Order: sequence, then C-alpha cells, then structure tokens
Amino acid sequence: MIPIDPNASPSALLELIYRLKVKDIMTSGVKTAEPSTQLREIQRIMRENKVSGVPILDEGRLVGMISVDDIIRALDQGYIDSPAGVHMSRQLVALEDDMPVSFAISSFEKYRYGRFPVINKQRTLVGIVTSRDVTSGLLLEMNRTLEEMERTLNAQSAPVPVGQVKRVFIVQQFDYENAGRASTELKKILNDRGVERPLQRRAAVASYELEMNLVNHSLGGRLIFHIDEERVVIEAIDKGPGIPDLEKAMTEGFSTANDWIRSLGFGAGMGLPNTKRVADEFDIQSTVGKGTQVKAVIFLKAGTAP
Amino acid sequence: MTFDQVLEAVSGQAVHRSSRWGNLDIRHAVTCDLMSDVLVTDHDEILLITSLPSDQVARTADMVGACGVVLVNGKPPQPSLVELCGELDLTLIRSPLGSFEASWKLGERLLR
Repeated sequence: MIPIDPNASPSALLELIYRLKVKDIMTSGVKTAEPSTQLREIQRIMRENKVSGVPILDEGRLVGMISVDDIIRALDQGYIDSPAGVHMSRQLVALEDDMPVSFAISSFEKYRYGRFPVINKQRTLVGIVTSRDVTSGLLLEMNRTLEEMERTLNAQSAPVPVGQVKRVFIVQQFDYENAGRASTELKKILNDRGVERPLQRRAAVASYELEMNLVNHSLGGRLIFHIDEERVVIEAIDKGPGIPDLEKAMTEGFSTANDWIRSLGFGAGMGLPNTKRVADEFDIQSTVGKGTQVKAVIFLKAGTAP
Repeated sequence: MTFDQVLEAVSGQAVHRSSRWGNLDIRHAVTCDLMSDVLVTDHDEILLITSLPSDQVARTADMVGACGVVLVNGKPPQPSLVELCGELDLTLIRSPLGSFEASWKLGERLLR
C-alpha cells in the first residue's frame, strides 16, 4: 500500500519516517458524526468533504468509524436510512499523534485499513490519517529537506568574485511541479543584470531543455549556473541512467520519451539538438550506468564568441 | 494586433492580463501542443496558442519570451498555470474555439 520497505530503503528516508510524527502528516479538523446520525447523512458528509471515512463520536468520545465501504454495503442492502451506531465498525485501531510515521506505515501493512483515527494523550480525536496522507506528507518533507540542502550548497560554495554568480539547483525525476523553476530563476538573474533579450532567451531555452531532460529522462541530478560578465555556463549533471548512443540522442526527432511525457508537452526529440543550436559551446559526456554531463555556454559580449 | 483584438478574434476571456496588456503589438503566433517544439521557434514576443493547460506552458512561454498564451478548446487552465502567469507577468486568454479555428482567425488578422 505504501511503497516503503524498511529493509531496502535509503537511510535518509528511514530517518524521515522516524523523525516525522503522525500529527505532522494527519488531516485535522475532521468531520465527525454521532451514533444517531443516519448513514445517508454520513454519505452526504463524505461527498461534500471528499473524505472516505467518518469517525463516530458519542459525547466527544470516539466509539466507531463509518467508511465508504460501509456506505456502499448500506446502499446495496437497503439500510442507508438507519443510524450509524448500528452499523459502524467498533473494533477500532487508533494511532496516537506523537507516534512516529513508521508506526503508521506498519499499521497500514498490518491491518489493511484505509484510514486510522488519531487521538492525543487525553484520548480525544485530533485527526485522521490515510495512506495518501503518509505519501504526500513524506514527499512534502523530502522536498523541504532538498530545498534546505540547496540553500546549504549555495551558501557553502567558495565565495565567488564580485560580478559573478553561481547557483546550484537539485532537479528530481518526474517532479513536474517544480520543473522549470531553476530556468525561470536563471532568466530572472539575466534580466536583472540587463542582459539583452535574445541572449536571455538563448540561455533560458538551453537551461530549460536541460532541466526538462533531467526531469523526464534522468534519475535526478543538478543544474548549475555560472554567470559572469562574459558568459553563462549551464551544467546539467545527473546520476544516470546514461545515454547508450550519443549520436542518436543528438539527432533531431529521436526520442525515448513515453506517451505520458508527451501528454505533458515534451518528448519531441529536440531537447539536446536544440540546446546545441542555441549555445555557443556545447559538450556532452555520458556513461551508461553512471550518468550524463552536459555543458552549454552562451557568450554575453560580442567578441567573446569563438 | 492588440490583446483586445485577440480576445475578439477568438471569442476569448482574459484569465490574466499582463502589465503590458494595452501597449503590445503582436506580430507572430505559434500553435503547438508540444512545448519542445515551441522551444525551437525563433520569433520574439510570440502569442502561444495551445490546448495544453499545464504550468509548463507558462514556463515555456517565459523561456522563449512569448507575450501571452491562448488556451483553446474551452479548457479550464490548471490553477497552478494561472498562478504562474501572474508570477511571470504573462497574459492568459481562454478560448472556446478549437486549435485550428483559433489559429485561422488570428492568422487572418495577423496577415492583414
């Protein structure tokens, strides 16, 4: 259900699932009902709030849970107008808000429930946690950690001379939410430095092509910008899988993109050839199983181009 | 061609108006659903006509220095696309027309 195997996951992820608490990932402000509430009313609560389970409270105390499966059964067997108290699951397993997320993950594995109510030390209901909350909570936290790493990387790098800028961005595979963020940043920097529009455009296109390549085709990597008065150097360094045939990859129209990538508007097989086209200097090295390094240079001053 | 004329030509609705809405003379348009192909175009300040409603449309438009996006087929833009157009100061227009009809109506006026 949750694709995490404690025996085979990177230690950073394991550290995360022990550090994060159930309260960090749960959904709070949960809609509840009472034992006397009709199942039909609970069905309405589920529909309007887009939830798949409603905890049942008796005078504030958690006594049961109605899930979407219970509602389907009620509709099927014709007792949708009867009260929740008669049909709710009473064998509840609740998680405590201070438990680590690892505990929630093993509970999902063990009990195969779709959701767990969350209670605090006073045994009051404070939230609900679904397997989706676990996955999105972990992803958000990983993103936050990555952003922190980026900041540290930028702060740690050797001081760059006045007039020079170095930026490092970590780009993750299939992260379409952030894809393009680094290139937008590059374009802003060039615009702020008063670089001419056509040059801004060439640098931005080269960077964006390389960034989308990292997102679409690599296992993740880094995009690095070095900017000074004379040139913009864009480096894309990834962790694999490497390109088996560089000549083919540099051919216009040759693409290994799948339909899914195409549905997002990429994969015309123009990425690398187009990067080369807009760059003044272009270099690519790739080793299968190791990774690919691409370097594109755009000269900013007339006379510096070879 | 001005954005007001674009709106009229494609029976469109402005989802976001950039700060340059009133003082731009649009001369080129590119119709494309593959953003990779848009990145190969060389005209500056193009109007991008597409049926792709994702935020990569705004990213691509920004990279090539496009002045705005016309989203065709009456597709509602994804909220993140609208937000990004605001951030990047890009005009976003939504049109009920199909890709071909919108391109034809705009092309007719651009070539006049």
